[in-house]
Amino acid sequence: MAGAVLTPDTPTRPGGIGRAVSDAALHDPLGRRWWIAFAAASGLLALFFGVILYLLFTGVGIWNNNNAVVWALDIASYDWWIGIACGSLALAGTLRLTGTSREAAFGRGAISRLAEANALLCTIAAGLYPIIHLGRPWFFYWNLPYPNTLGLWPQFRSPLVWDAIDIVSFLVVTVSLWYVGLLPDLATLRDRAFAEAQATSERAGRPRRWPMLRVQAYGIAAAGWRGSASHWQLWAQAYRIIALLGILLVVSLQTGASVMLAGSVLPGWHDTILPVTFLVNAVFSGVAVIAALAMLVRTVYRLEAVVTLRHAEILARLLLGLGLASLYGYAAELLSGFLHGDAYARATLVRRFTGPHAWAAWTVLTCALLPVQLFWWARFRRSPLALALVGGLVAVGAYADHVMVLVVTLSHDFLPSSALDYRVGLWGLATFAGSVGMFLVLLLLFLRALPVASLSDLRRQADPGDGPAQAQARSDAPAPDAGTPIWAVSAEFATQDQLAAAMRALARRHPSRGGNVRLDAFGPVPMADALKALGRHNRSVLPYALGAALAGGAAFYGMCVYATAYGYVFDVGGRPRFSWPSFVVPSISFAMMSGTLAVHAVLLFVNRLPRLNHPAFNIPGFGRVTQDRYFLAAEARGPDFDADRIVRQLAALPEGAGRPLAIARVPR
Amino acid sequence: MAQLFAPGADALLRLALLSGAALIAGGAVLVAGIARSDYVTGVGIAPAQPVPFSHKHHSGELGIDCRYCHTTVETQATAGLPPTQTCMTCHSQIWTGSDMLKPVRDSYASGEPLRWVRLNKLPQYVYYNHSVHVTKGIGCSTCHGDVTTMQMTYRANAFEMQFCLDCHQAPERWVRTPDQVWNMNWSPPANQATLGPQLVAKNHIHGGDRLLECGICHR
Repeated sequence: MAGAVLTPDTPTRPGGIGRAVSDAALHDPLGRRWWIAFAAASGLLALFFGVILYLLFTGVGIWNNNNAVVWALDIASYDWWIGIACGSLALAGTLRLTGTSREAAFGRGAISRLAEANALLCTIAAGLYPIIHLGRPWFFYWNLPYPNTLGLWPQFRSPLVWDAIDIVSFLVVTVSLWYVGLLPDLATLRDRAFAEAQATSERAGRPRRWPMLRVQAYGIAAAGWRGSASHWQLWAQAYRIIALLGILLVVSLQTGASVMLAGSVLPGWHDTILPVTFLVNAVFSGVAVIAALAMLVRTVYRLEAVVTLRHAEILARLLLGLGLASLYGYAAELLSGFLHGDAYARATLVRRFTGPHAWAAWTVLTCALLPVQLFWWARFRRSPLALALVGGLVAVGAYADHVMVLVVTLSHDFLPSSALDYRVGLWGLATFAGSVGMFLVLLLLFLRALPVASLSDLRRQADPGDGPAQAQARSDAPAPDAGTPIWAVSAEFATQDQLAAAMRALARRHPSRGGNVRLDAFGPVPMADALKALGRHNRSVLPYALGAALAGGAAFYGMCVYATAYGYVFDVGGRPRFSWPSFVVPSISFAMMSGTLAVHAVLLFVNRLPRLNHPAFNIPGFGRVTQDRYFLAAEARGPDFDADRIVRQLAALPEGAGRPLAIARVPR
Repeated sequence: MAQLFAPGADALLRLALLSGAALIAGGAVLVAGIARSDYVTGVGIAPAQPVPFSHKHHSGELGIDCRYCHTTVETQATAGLPPTQTCMTCHSQIWTGSDMLKPVRDSYASGEPLRWVRLNKLPQYVYYNHSVHVTKGIGCSTCHGDVTTMQMTYRANAFEMQFCLDCHQAPERWVRTPDQVWNMNWSPPANQATLGPQLVAKNHIHGGDRLLECGICHR
């Protein structure tokens, strides 16, 4: 069987197109170059730990933060990271939700994994900042509602608390989206690595421990995924639902992050357009970083066939559109400021362009807003180099934007006496460089161990569907000994249509209810027709997701109301006891997290996963079910199960309309 | 294809997952329990003192008024720890040869104060004033417990913020008439539900709103 798996794939066969991608995960093609990059990133990470130690010892003063400029590079870095994370999640979610056709699946397969992983890694980098920027970081959990001995609740009217809830939810949703998408791909890696490990052991003449440990690590991570039609059904639903919850969470989080500024009365912040500009700039920077990363991965891993120029063109158009939206935001801010803003707001706008931090505003203009205008020309849209460079510049511009918005306002508000200058210092830059190091270390580990594009999406394009069966029928595998209990009769197919034809034929003869046969289909892609033959196509995860999201949101909202209106009544600047609007944002974030967790739980429980050892893995050649083969299993239920009859029925199916490549009796 | 995992692997994985979940849940309960335990809060633990002074004997059995020693409780923020001279008002006359009281006599002779081990400590960022509590009708025993039963004195309540807030939120449940403030066995009378609000109004206590402002205690 190992030999069958090791047969080199041709690009026309399913699994061929993703071969290069999974090869990169199993056999690192970069060698020494990866290690050099990893060493450099680890050096930055070590710097990060050093800075944090010094910070814990000394305090946030090392960043040059002062009494006026309480937020500087710390919050700029946080907003930047979480902005990129939001943009990546919005892009990943949109890709997941748009189009179910094969072409759409292939198109998003190249980008969506990168976007999902980037969302997760940037969230991790962002998530540390709100903790380390606290005066006493070891009390960070005071921001969360937990049963404490202080008798206090967090102040749910404060966007600072919204942010704490938002980040926790964001982390859960990004991990979830990333992992759910990865599940079938991990199974592919498991099966390929298993076949290779077996081949290595055969050559060595003795079992090899290390390769097997690696395979088992992939196996545990894949949670026993075996590509059953019902696995795929719930998986596809779960994936799309989490994507939708993620997009809603992006809006909620950026609202929280922006209202933290807009909710104050400070000039330059107190503006209703701020949530919109925050959201647009976040998506802008996220798409820019994804574009740059995608072009980098395309070049370094030689994935020109996967990340095509068509992808480059679409990303460039997206960047141009987002760049124009961002430009509109800046223009609207200037216009409204000068049209009806007060003297302080006007002064702040002027100071952005002429004050001591004018470099930030000019960097925004020259790095974020102007370079994307290149993409009016098709030549630049189809140039990976241009896309990578502009993507990088936009990221720089986005950072400058956060510095500009925060520092210019804080260093000079209404009173001349409270004006205090701020200078970017070495420690602030070192902290940011360190967080970049952490991001790079995680990114390099991701590139090294996991497929950089979504194999399950890429496979959809190569899936021949109604194409001719190319493989030759193999001889039947030896039947197990007469005494061995039989789990099922299995049949192997080269295409989904052959599988579906056989499923229909068997389902007619063996009704699912009350029969002694239970049918199941396994394959490398979602199998709608087979599912229909099984009669399980009406199951839905949606009610669970909706129920959990509504219940979670309502419960969180109820907690906010109880805490502020009954549990600990506290007058904050004369705000009403029942300040209902301030509870909406964290409740929505919490609802998204609850929905995601419920979807995740349903996906695993209803599919009976994780299941590491399953009789289906006894099917001969089953290792290819995660690559390019389809299997049918007629499971024995009850004493009347007649294996010989099912074998005869399968063998009698006409060539090209359900005749299997191989039939086997599978031991339990 | 061969099985990658032995049949027992699933049981092990589930056991590991359940143990992990139990460990996290149990760990949280454990931490919360330790934080509230007497070991951390010091409630009920009587440390060794330079002289084994008994509140039960002096205050309970002999009936000496609290204010005989803690002289400033009605007028100042601190209740006041008595100087050695206060002890000697009696012990220059009785138990003059007692070995137990030798440190008191030594302190009196040398002028070096006794170094009592302090029980009821508040963090420096908490402003607390004894006089306002006592004169508005909050009795000693509400915070310090029934010291007339304490052979060796111990901390009766964990002075965590929750403890202060319980009263600041609903002072009418604890407020007493002036004659009851020094009663160490006080428990709310049957008519506390009507008496409490009257006392609160009479003494201008703003429980539930003003007393919950941060600046009341954290100045």
